[in-house]
Amino acid sequence: MNVYLVALLRILAALGLMLLNGVVLIYMLRKVLGYLHVRLGPMELGPHGVFQTLADVLKLLTKEDPTPTHVDRALYFLAPGIVFVPSLMAYAAIPFTGTWVIADLELGLLYTFAIMSLLPLGLVAAGWASANKWSLIGGMRSVAQQVSYEVPLLMAALPPVMIAGSLNLTDIARAQSAVWFWLPCLPAFLLFIVAGLVEANQTPFDMSEAESELVAGFATEYASMKFGLLFLSEFSNTFIFSSLLVTLFLGGWQVPFVPVDALGGWAAVVFLIKVYLVIFVLMWIRGTLPRVRIDQLLAMGWKVLLPASIVWVMLTGAAVKLWPMVFGGVQ
Amino acid sequence: MSDARDTVAHAGWLTADKPSLPDEIPLTLKRVPSGVDEVMTEHLVVNMGPQHPSTHGVLRILVELDGEEVIACESVVGYLHRGIEKLAEHRRYSAVGTLMDRGDYVSGIHNEMAFALAAEKVADIGVPRRANWLRVLMGELNRIASHLVWYGTMGLDTGAMGQFLYAVRDREDLLDILEDVTGQRMMFNYVRPGGVLNDLTPRAEKKIRAFLSTFDAYLDEHHALLGGNEIFQARTRGIGVIDKETAIAFGLTGANLRASGVSFDVRRDRPYAAYDEMDFDIPVAESGDIYARYLVRIEEMRQAARICRQCIDGLPEGEHTAKVAKVLRPPAGEAYAAVESPRGELGVHLVSDGTDRPYRMRYRPPALFGLQAAEAITPGTFLADAVAIFGSVDVVLGEIDR
Amino acid sequence: MSWFGSGILTGLRITMRNMLRGPITVQYPHEKLEIPERARWAVEMKPDEDGNHKCTGCLACEKACPDFIIKIDVTTAEDRSKHIDRWHYELGACMMCGLCVEACPFDAIRMGHDYELARTDVAELQYDLLTDVAAAQPKRKAAAERPAGAERPAPVAAPEAAAAEAEVEPQKGGEQS
Repeated sequence: MNVYLVALLRILAALGLMLLNGVVLIYMLRKVLGYLHVRLGPMELGPHGVFQTLADVLKLLTKEDPTPTHVDRALYFLAPGIVFVPSLMAYAAIPFTGTWVIADLELGLLYTFAIMSLLPLGLVAAGWASANKWSLIGGMRSVAQQVSYEVPLLMAALPPVMIAGSLNLTDIARAQSAVWFWLPCLPAFLLFIVAGLVEANQTPFDMSEAESELVAGFATEYASMKFGLLFLSEFSNTFIFSSLLVTLFLGGWQVPFVPVDALGGWAAVVFLIKVYLVIFVLMWIRGTLPRVRIDQLLAMGWKVLLPASIVWVMLTGAAVKLWPMVFGGVQ
Repeated sequence: MSDARDTVAHAGWLTADKPSLPDEIPLTLKRVPSGVDEVMTEHLVVNMGPQHPSTHGVLRILVELDGEEVIACESVVGYLHRGIEKLAEHRRYSAVGTLMDRGDYVSGIHNEMAFALAAEKVADIGVPRRANWLRVLMGELNRIASHLVWYGTMGLDTGAMGQFLYAVRDREDLLDILEDVTGQRMMFNYVRPGGVLNDLTPRAEKKIRAFLSTFDAYLDEHHALLGGNEIFQARTRGIGVIDKETAIAFGLTGANLRASGVSFDVRRDRPYAAYDEMDFDIPVAESGDIYARYLVRIEEMRQAARICRQCIDGLPEGEHTAKVAKVLRPPAGEAYAAVESPRGELGVHLVSDGTDRPYRMRYRPPALFGLQAAEAITPGTFLADAVAIFGSVDVVLGEIDR
Repeated sequence: MSWFGSGILTGLRITMRNMLRGPITVQYPHEKLEIPERARWAVEMKPDEDGNHKCTGCLACEKACPDFIIKIDVTTAEDRSKHIDRWHYELGACMMCGLCVEACPFDAIRMGHDYELARTDVAELQYDLLTDVAAAQPKRKAAAERPAGAERPAPVAAPEAAAAEAEVEPQKGGEQS
């Protein structure tokens, strides 16, 4: 087929995946939080409220969208875009199966982290451009936390890279056919979860939109579809982070004791089930834990997580070099 | 003066119908001129306005921030003022109870009880023993309900959502019991001068026993969920310390005072109703921080359940009310009566001039003193801590504004 | 790390346990909870066994109401019988305290159990409970033994109501059979 047509279809697939993910996650969030809180969540529209998201989207599309008077117009209108586009681009390197990936990049992991690091720019732009002190505080907090946790996040992702020997996400997932990496890299697994929660702005680290303090944080002055874009990108980030976790530490699309060829197309379903299980655990954490204070978070990031991740990278490097000498053969 | 004027304009005190500034501007919130730190920074004056997810009622707090640190803090009350004390001068004694319900709306029984005790002192009415025991029983159930609201909103202030709904689940059982006995879930109109409105029903008694049999386990669960959480402890240990001298200077009472190390409880030191016949402990903590106030209130819930058990097991026979005239005309005189409400010492000073309406009813709101203390200790903490501090002193605006 | 994180893990376990206990809510318009006998909602007339109202027009409830919500227009005819022109009730301002029901000596009103009181039009929040009916006869022994034909200034509260205001214990109703 025409190369450009294939590329266009892949881009549309990414967009469709992002929108579908947003729809599913909104419903899943409301139902999961509802059941955690001993109530039911949406039940009216459709059986068990499945059409609630449709109603929410229609509401967001038809809502009045006032622009406050003193906003910095260029940044105010661009900020949702700056937040939305990297979230969309990050879908490119995620491997759904061994062959289903939008762009099989040699530097897949590096590309994903680089693209995701553009998000703080959009958040601080949203916070600054809204002529609102609450948004400003929210934007400042978000840039502080996300920039601080970029390095521990990347360092925590390095041990699987070292063991697999490649930055290509498909290769890392394939290298887990014997044992999933969460076991030999347990500290890195935990560090990646913590750092990823910070990057994805989820409780217990959602200070930038702390509802009980800052009303809605950086998104206070946004309404209608701009708000929709901001929160769609937040759900996308959750999906990206969870799929990175699954790819790096939980074996990607593989099921233990079942050879990959036997799975065929079901491998994508396995991958999605794993990702949504991880998202369920994140929502479970969201409904339980209180919020950490921003200075405690930054202190934890710089003083605890960063040294711990460096130490673990050194230990893993040493182990990777010594393992063939001790046990013979390449892993 | 120019700095304060800038601040006033900045804080939004100028409105369309009041375009000129008053002559005397309180210099509480001073804005530091730019460049004073050699870094060109400004302090932000932020308004946690009457509508805010975290102010417990319609409370307005003006906070001056240097980055995230609070430099000055000022609270503005009055958004819920309904003139309860003034209205009480125009209502008969039986109807003042309905006003008192609406003061501290979370714990209505205690408000009504304070007024009933004051009216009984002025009119010299004796209360039958069973009525006193019923008052204690309903009061302690209401104390548990009020502390559950505090517990739930403490969780919300620190960011946890689940706790609030579990607390509300237990509170539903209590409100069902109160509705069975009194007729309403919140504005009970139950404790009257002379006794209580009506007796327990067998169904209510069964519900109370069922509630008490499961409550201790649920309370342990609530405590493990929030208090045992390391993040919550990091947010509350050592934060918002009110030491003993400050607490006494501000006139704090109740759990706020006991968490700072002073063991004072109106139920034990100036007993009323049937509290001198009850066996219960008064929890006291030393550190005076938010975590201490949290622990004291959790333990108070446990002790309240203990009192309820004694009440329901040992309820004496008798009348639920003394014979009181429908239109009460006490002789001229005055009396002060205080009860231990969940927020502290709630007092009513009643002055009667011999007619069927009070001459003056003064309502001492314990939460007001807590609010003032919170305002005084907030400078120097972070914005997130300010929210937690105001939540921990258990303010209810209905009581503060009356 | 486990002793440091144990509180968090316990918390997660508690939330999961609560999730598995199941929801405690009812879906309101489709399922409704029953309310107890003593629940106080809007005031309604309490008819006797034959379905007639028992209001004698004594105005005890109007005097007892703290917020002046009840307004009763009563005319007294030549033969001392009363006619209730209008028993007006302002539902929108009622705080359901129950003082009117406590004050009524004839058990003529009660606090109803209808709590779905939302209306779309403000005018519907005040209405008449009785319009243009004859007042019921007070069925008290004291009334039957009173000598007939004595002149009374009109309109005043019935003597039973005045006695009720003075020294009677606060119970609902009177000596109804």
